[in-house]
Amino acid sequence: MLGTLIVKELKAILASPKFAATFAVCSLLILLSIFIGIREYRTAVRQYDEALQLAAQNVRTQASWMGLTTTTYRMPDPMQIFIPGVNNDIGRLSAINGFEDVKLKNSTYADDPIFALFRSIDFSFIVQVVLSLFAILFTYDAVNGEREGGTLQLTFSNPVPRSAYILAKLAGSWLALVVPLLVPVLLAVLLVMLHGIPLAPDHWARLGFFLLVSLLFFTFFIALGILISTLTRRSATSFLLSLAVWVTLVLIVPRLGVMAAAAADPVPSIAEIEARIDAFAKDRWEGQMKEMEGRWQGRQEAMKGMTKEEREAYEQEKEKEWSNDDEAGRMSVQKDIDTYSTRVNEDLRNRKLNQEHLAFALSRISPASAYQLASMSLAGTGVSLKSRYEDAMREYRTAFTQYVGRKQKETGGQGGFRITVDSQTGFHFSAPRERGTLDVSDLPAFLPPVIRFSETAASAVIDAGLLAVFSLMAFAGAFLAFQRYDVR
Amino acid sequence: MAERPMFEAAGLTKRYEDGVLALDHISFSVQPGEVYAMLGGNGAGKTTTINLFLNFIEPTEGEARIDGIVTHREPLKAKEKIAFVSENVMLYPNFTAMQNLDYFTRLSGRPAPSRSAYREALLRVGLEEEAHGKRLKGFSKGMRQKCGIAIAIMKNAPAILLDEPTSGLDPQAGFEFIGLLRSLRNEGKAILMSTHDIFRAKEVADVVGIMNRGQLVMQRPSGELAGQDMEKLYMQHIAGHTGLAS
Amino acid sequence: MLKLVIEKELRDIITSTKFTVSFAACALLILLAFFMGAAGYNADVGRYEAARRENLKKMEGITDWMMVRNNRIFLPPRPLASLVAGVSNDIGRTTEVHGRGELPQDDTRYGEEPVFAMFRFLDLEFIFQTVLSLFAILFAYDAICGEKERGTMRLSFANPLPRHTFIAGKLIGAFIALAVPLLVPVLLGCVMFSLLGVPLSADEWTRLALIIAAGILYFGAFLTIGIAVSSMTLRSSNAFLTLLVLWIFAVLIVPRSAILIAGRAVDVPSLDDINAKKFRYSEQLFTEDRQKMSGFSPAKTGDMRKMVEEFQGFMGAIADERQKKLDEFSARLNEERANRQALQSAVALGIARISPSASFSLAAATLAGTSVSMKDRYLGAARGYQQSFGKFILDKTGMNPGGGMVFRVRTDETEKPKPIDTHELPVFVSEEAVLADVLPPAMTDLALLVLCILVFFAVAHAAFRRYDLR
Repeated sequence: MLGTLIVKELKAILASPKFAATFAVCSLLILLSIFIGIREYRTAVRQYDEALQLAAQNVRTQASWMGLTTTTYRMPDPMQIFIPGVNNDIGRLSAINGFEDVKLKNSTYADDPIFALFRSIDFSFIVQVVLSLFAILFTYDAVNGEREGGTLQLTFSNPVPRSAYILAKLAGSWLALVVPLLVPVLLAVLLVMLHGIPLAPDHWARLGFFLLVSLLFFTFFIALGILISTLTRRSATSFLLSLAVWVTLVLIVPRLGVMAAAAADPVPSIAEIEARIDAFAKDRWEGQMKEMEGRWQGRQEAMKGMTKEEREAYEQEKEKEWSNDDEAGRMSVQKDIDTYSTRVNEDLRNRKLNQEHLAFALSRISPASAYQLASMSLAGTGVSLKSRYEDAMREYRTAFTQYVGRKQKETGGQGGFRITVDSQTGFHFSAPRERGTLDVSDLPAFLPPVIRFSETAASAVIDAGLLAVFSLMAFAGAFLAFQRYDVR
Repeated sequence: MAERPMFEAAGLTKRYEDGVLALDHISFSVQPGEVYAMLGGNGAGKTTTINLFLNFIEPTEGEARIDGIVTHREPLKAKEKIAFVSENVMLYPNFTAMQNLDYFTRLSGRPAPSRSAYREALLRVGLEEEAHGKRLKGFSKGMRQKCGIAIAIMKNAPAILLDEPTSGLDPQAGFEFIGLLRSLRNEGKAILMSTHDIFRAKEVADVVGIMNRGQLVMQRPSGELAGQDMEKLYMQHIAGHTGLAS
Repeated sequence: MLKLVIEKELRDIITSTKFTVSFAACALLILLAFFMGAAGYNADVGRYEAARRENLKKMEGITDWMMVRNNRIFLPPRPLASLVAGVSNDIGRTTEVHGRGELPQDDTRYGEEPVFAMFRFLDLEFIFQTVLSLFAILFAYDAICGEKERGTMRLSFANPLPRHTFIAGKLIGAFIALAVPLLVPVLLGCVMFSLLGVPLSADEWTRLALIIAAGILYFGAFLTIGIAVSSMTLRSSNAFLTLLVLWIFAVLIVPRSAILIAGRAVDVPSLDDINAKKFRYSEQLFTEDRQKMSGFSPAKTGDMRKMVEEFQGFMGAIADERQKKLDEFSARLNEERANRQALQSAVALGIARISPSASFSLAAATLAGTSVSMKDRYLGAARGYQQSFGKFILDKTGMNPGGGMVFRVRTDETEKPKPIDTHELPVFVSEEAVLADVLPPAMTDLALLVLCILVFFAVAHAAFRRYDLR
């Protein structure tokens, strides 16, 4: 009995011209999105490689250890082909040096705002917006359409249990819509392989999980369409209702959730925070200058009454000591500023984290948000992308400054050039070393942070679970509602 | 003939794009004050004839004329003179009976009549007063049919075209409808109706035409049919034509 | 007769449950967009003021303008940007201004708070672009074929009703029935916007009115497309499916693809590449200048003050010279890139405009001042500020704050120096897009929308002439 019903459902969907049209459109879009994703990824990889070379070259041509600066870049990840997430929205690079904090700058969209105007088409977007719409389109009249057509009455003039009928509806629609869609999806995966995109086993695991989540999301909308269809008498009503529900769940709730969270829990802007750090830095440098003034005066005091020769000899003797004193003072100031900056940034990040948690919690009412969150955490292209890279770059900055400090000690002198103007001794200009003479061969390299399947899966599992719960609820709702459905 | 025929088919022929010959040189006419009943099974060509008179399709050959106006030459002028009631009258479900009547009456091009005229028309076709202000959504088929007839009455056209007007009406309503038809005929309207219902056809029509496979196979004044067994006659013509004589 | 059909269409739409439900939903969303826009704007103003305040505060207590090497300027929030976001969230809002040199634009909204980049904002433009176009389709898809399915078409055309009157009446009736009610929440939203304390100048009100007009035109375009499709199909379910596919393409696919195609067709050199070139060139210039620096000797030793002044003059002169060369070099590279970018966006937008949705987006963003040119406008204003800041510091200290840290250690100071007055600093005024500037480019898109309506009306008309009325 169940078999007959399922087969009928399959035939009804697969044989409809509606199906042929939508299947063609969906396949086209899925393949297009992957194709575009591959091209974008390859361009990104090429630019990344070039940028790394340029950065290395720039480091080699610099003249001073103290002022040594380099740039680190975010490495493209093949998962961005499927789910670019916020990849294009956050900065691609950060300068690394001893005097400014890590900050991701130059996002793709900021560099070329034209791309930001309409955003990109990607696989997760197609699933989230287009496929969900089609799922609704195929199921909104699943039950009430049959009632209107009169076939429901005829069906139930036979010994058909209601539970078998509704189960067959769900199973049949699911099979008819899901199985064909696996074709373009598998083709897309094949396309990625054929293009020689390097996918590690870890990537495969993440991709597999992502496809599973996509499937769950799609399933939810199939179940939802059937649920709405069993709750209404007329297909025109259920059509309007499903469309309204779709607009709300897919287009409105995710955005609204985030905006509500922002309104409920405002976070100061980075510009404000930076100005505060600057103010702190200014105070500290001012203090440092007072100290320097004091030291100078002390030194002048000590030299009072000396002859010119004595003076020069004394200066010669003390030069190293003085220089070290000044340097130590400078270093301690820089360290204080760094500590302060880290603390304030940490604060800001925690507040943002709270805001994000609230935003996610609010928008998770919609399965579309849950899907987006799950897929982005699997791809590693969600909000954590930024903090992950910033952390890795900060760590690198520490290693970098330590290295520079060591080199400075080893090679002596502070590098750069130094101008001293003194009313007694006149004007001195010293430039200790030439450009391009720094030996940077043992400079530590920046290793982009790696995320593992296990980490991404841990956060995605919540959203996948939510999707499963949503789907089950819709299924159960449809099942129960149909038990009392008036078949006339 | 003293009067010009109100409906006139002259060698009316329709061949569809798919090659099906739906009408094959049909000629007949209906005078004012005359009821002409087209009888025939499904696919005989009755609806095609009606569509040609309404210029919903263009004839392949021949002409359909309303009061001498060739419908496919001057469709708008011809339509001023026809009132039409379809087999299944469909009106705007969100509108009340009154609003539907008002819309379609004004669509006919004549100045808007008063509310009481509408009321009268609706009462005349047998729609109770309490239904006049109700939306068409909840109306039964019979009630909708009555509204359709009221629209035709309000239009006050000299030619009335009826496509299976009694199908779906209960016997009581069908009986009332025949009375209405008679009174319209007595007012001098020319009425062309298609029907499956051979008994009613004989009862009300002045002329009965039997169609089969796009041809008019028999046409007689109902007076001549007075004593005949209509069913037998009908079967005879249909069968004789298809070569399945019993 | 036309009036009659329009009247009927109006009544038919407005009395339907479909209208009540979907209109309520749209009205709610429009009001929500205005409310969220106002709330967002107010929050942004708060953050902007805080940033400016902190920025001035950090300079308090400084006793020497020499210490003020740079100043930060911030892109002020704009009321219209909170209704039509455009690319405003992708543009760096903070710029550190030195007396000379490049002007970086950092801290984009989306880069700073990627949580917003994940889901984007719910702005008025989005509501118009996606939700209202769906709303239009919902009422247009069965405008013609629905009447046929319902059977009312036969009865209507049994009357002396010309076909063109019917289709014109349909379109006009549907437009009035849907667009006029939509103006109610829009106007309420405008009132709410000003009640929530968002200051709009007369110029901004005019631009907002034009944005709304563009939205209504866009709505009309989708309505016309819907009616055209409806008069080409016999079954309303087919019409809806066709329209939905068209909608997906027009709203979601075409604009995005156009940009990607243009990105492929026109190659724009990457910013990294350009920055590396600039960096190398400046290094080269610096190496050259170092020879000069080493060779510097003051004309007269002994007078400390004179010596410092002479040295500063010398350093300033070579720095200016160096900067001039570097500026020329950068300008050339920047211009090359800007030209490529302009070509790329011309191609992209040209293709995208196939879709009325893109035309609307562009018109709205242009009118709101949040289109791609926003970045250049901001950069231009920042350049102007850079000059006045440079001049200001030059006046104060006698040298242009080109960069590099200057320590002035005074050992001969007797009186305590007075702190600087930060209010003397020139104030950054960001150029606002004004109607006169944005109207001409927006006109193209508005005209395209009108053209779209006309073309599809012609299509609908032509298709309906041959429509099978049976």
